[in-house]
Amino acid sequence: MRNVGIIGIGYTPVFVSKRKDVNIPEMISEAVDNAFANTGLTAADIDAVVFGNMQTFEGVNLPHLWAADYIASLGKPVMRIATGGTTGMSAFHAGYYHITSGLHDVVMVVTYEKQSEGDSQVGLMGIITPELMAMLSAGIDVTGGSGMGAIGGGSAGGISFQASSYLHHSGAGIEHIDAQAALERRNAAKNPYAHLKDPEATAEKIAQTPMVSWPIRFGHICPTSDGATVAILASEKAAAKIADKVAWVHAVANCASDATTANLIESQITDPAEQMPAIIASRQAYERAGIKDPKREIDYVEIYNGFAHQALMYLEKVGMCEVGEAHKLQEAGELEMSGRMPVNASGGVVSTNAIGTSAMNRVTECALQILGRAGEHQVEKEVHKALAHGWGGLMQYVTITILGDKPKKG
Amino acid sequence: MMEETRIVQGTWDISTFKFRIEGVGLRRMLENMKEGKLVGTKCHQCGMVYLPGPFYCRKCHIEINEPAEVSDHGEIMTFTIGYADVRGNPLEEPRIAPVVKMDGCDSWIMGVLQGVKPEEVHVGMRVKVQWAENLTGSLQDMQYFVPE
Amino acid sequence: MEKNVAIVGYKMMNALDLVTSRERLTFDLTRGLFNELGIDRLAVDTTILDSNDFLDGRTISNVFLDPQAGVYMRDESKVEMDGLNAVLYACMRILSGQYQTAMVMALGLTGSQVSPYLHIEYTLDPTYDRQVKLLNELSAAALQARSYLAKYGYSEELLDGVAAQNLGNAALNPYQARRISGISKDQVKGSAYYYEPLRELHCFPPSDGGCAVLLASEEKAKELTDKPVWIKGMGQSIETYFLGERDLFTSTSTTQAAKRAYDLAGVTDPKKQVAFAEISSLFAHQEPLLAEALGLLDKGQAAGAYQVGETAIDGKLPINPSGGPLGAHPISATGLVRLAEAARQLRGEAGDNQVREAGMAVVHGQDGACAQQNAVVVLGI
Repeated sequence: MRNVGIIGIGYTPVFVSKRKDVNIPEMISEAVDNAFANTGLTAADIDAVVFGNMQTFEGVNLPHLWAADYIASLGKPVMRIATGGTTGMSAFHAGYYHITSGLHDVVMVVTYEKQSEGDSQVGLMGIITPELMAMLSAGIDVTGGSGMGAIGGGSAGGISFQASSYLHHSGAGIEHIDAQAALERRNAAKNPYAHLKDPEATAEKIAQTPMVSWPIRFGHICPTSDGATVAILASEKAAAKIADKVAWVHAVANCASDATTANLIESQITDPAEQMPAIIASRQAYERAGIKDPKREIDYVEIYNGFAHQALMYLEKVGMCEVGEAHKLQEAGELEMSGRMPVNASGGVVSTNAIGTSAMNRVTECALQILGRAGEHQVEKEVHKALAHGWGGLMQYVTITILGDKPKKG
Repeated sequence: MMEETRIVQGTWDISTFKFRIEGVGLRRMLENMKEGKLVGTKCHQCGMVYLPGPFYCRKCHIEINEPAEVSDHGEIMTFTIGYADVRGNPLEEPRIAPVVKMDGCDSWIMGVLQGVKPEEVHVGMRVKVQWAENLTGSLQDMQYFVPE
Repeated sequence: MEKNVAIVGYKMMNALDLVTSRERLTFDLTRGLFNELGIDRLAVDTTILDSNDFLDGRTISNVFLDPQAGVYMRDESKVEMDGLNAVLYACMRILSGQYQTAMVMALGLTGSQVSPYLHIEYTLDPTYDRQVKLLNELSAAALQARSYLAKYGYSEELLDGVAAQNLGNAALNPYQARRISGISKDQVKGSAYYYEPLRELHCFPPSDGGCAVLLASEEKAKELTDKPVWIKGMGQSIETYFLGERDLFTSTSTTQAAKRAYDLAGVTDPKKQVAFAEISSLFAHQEPLLAEALGLLDKGQAAGAYQVGETAIDGKLPINPSGGPLGAHPISATGLVRLAEAARQLRGEAGDNQVREAGMAVVHGQDGACAQQNAVVVLGI
């Protein structure tokens, strides 16, 4: 298989709750312009574009059509990818396959979300619209107690089952979730592109935020951010001409399970904390990357944690440690930027969540660590190989990307 | 940087939508709930029992339609305790939502648990369905779960 | 292209109302395809699903179609555009060497569940076009139709002729949704105007439908079928969003997409080398317009060509022998259905719609008002 490398990254200047000064295409163009500025490339150098976001959050269908002129895509092949929360990484994977297919050499992947323009709850509740309608037609008052119990209400409700089950199986306590949120918000303070930054964050402060649905506290939950991220990928030959430092893709993988809604319309057959897709996808990625001992060979991890507990849960599920070990590593300080198994130095999704970008940001942040360009949030240890993880849907669709500082051999 | 921007309103109108959902499994479940029974569907190939019954087995990818009765007693597999609604408004009382595996069933269903304090709920707790006094063959016949 | 990728099987369903749910349709298409090929879901290495959140009325709609498509604990991704593009992506995955088989499935239920015109409406700029409300899918298409007719001095008769030919082909095709036997030009002309010059029978019908196709590497293809249809070339391109800045009487992005596909396929003279075409023309005028952009008709010669039956099933270069989207437009799947129809022809399975010489085919799919974005695939046997 052809080798593919990340030769450029561009972010919007900030990721914040509301960008009132730009509309959608204008906002995206900022990230595109930054990617060009960072690499010295121009529109003419790009062979194809991949575009991704979660469109029901803004109410614009196929936004790459409206934004075509703003993202240097006129006259080029453009492909739109949408897989829920993990859209960013799925779009990245599509870019990867554009090049490994042999058909293209330089591909730009554009992701964004401008949730302030939509009603996020409508977007989230929209995930289960038919069930809501079915409940209504079956006579259930979906706003009342039994109805909400029957649905589990929105994203936070469903995820609380996952967090609850995770604590039960791992032996971690809610205080570890508090501590993880605090750790990542402190990391975020060193990342100019993060949204929620708190250099003074502590587990105690997080523990004081209101409980939404046990064990999820308000302080454990990601913000909704406006922002865009662009990554430019190139084949080995093209990269040699354009870039001096490249973060190489060693493997991509993904696995889909079923939507675990467990409401009275669709039955749930898996424990939401079991995360078999994460286990399958990560093992497949390691095999493709030729990695036999991830705990030793992977130096850095970015986990998609819209909810703080997921950093711990997925660290275990992708095989970086055993189940029940993640919170102990956290207690020992190993997950910090200065630790032996640094995680989410960027602040993770729990600090920044422009949904369409979030899964791709896990990849770009790993790339920055490998390239030594993470500035203030560069981790202490040397990063030769990194793993980026994303999940989407109703907790069951997982994507994995492994990057390295040299092209993969063989 | 723009000095002056303007906000315009828009809508995504799904009120005109008509959703079709599979009826067979749901209808069977509702008809049997009228008798105070829980009946799901079993996969004749792998033996998985689902409640409510889907029209196909997820693992085998074949059509299934064998009725299978499951108990109205079961075990809590996981749970959460809600303190606020989807928009962040605090609830009047904490609401305990368990996900329960009924005996004889392989899938789990979500509900509300009454009759216990939040501190008492735990994984593995045995519960049973509290049936409504008048069973009408609607989802509300299963009022909530209570300790066994 | 470095490797050969083939279509080894397909399954389509179209009706004005399929009386089904998305979940059921997904299962029927994929299970149906597996049954015909004598395989099960484990034989599929990767899947690309394609449906549209706005039409499904729910966020991340593909998440709820995964298990029905047989993707439980398997590799899958999703494209959210016209289904022909999903074929491009699936093909890339096989060309990379990572996968041997790839399934593509797309569906749209705009006959029974939701208005088809919402699809384009929501692609329009929410800050201006959606506020002013002059533009919608039909009015934009009408502007394009008027521009095309005026450019070459065609009369509206051309639209009636194209529509009658397509609807006549559709009437012969059991896979179509709108089948009007004995359809005549007069009948078309007698249908009411939607937006002049477009009449009801010049436009696609709201319909339910879906399609699943299995692609395979050369090695695997030989195991799965003795009638593989090879993907010889593919390409895509996009134009500016702003209608006023486009030449509405042609389709530059289609020409660009076609050039990419023809270059890969080694097609230098499409009119000579291409045997027939399946084009996603959603309105009567779009068929000759896109055929010209694909290099299959000389510009300005459309009226004459249709008059003498050059594009009919038994003509020199049949266009939409299946009846095209005027017979069914399952939004998200239409381009994929064109691919399946072309494969049907190349395998000699097209029954009453069979063209005589099925050698090399051009397949086209579109997205956006007035076909702002286009994809082209070249198939051969």
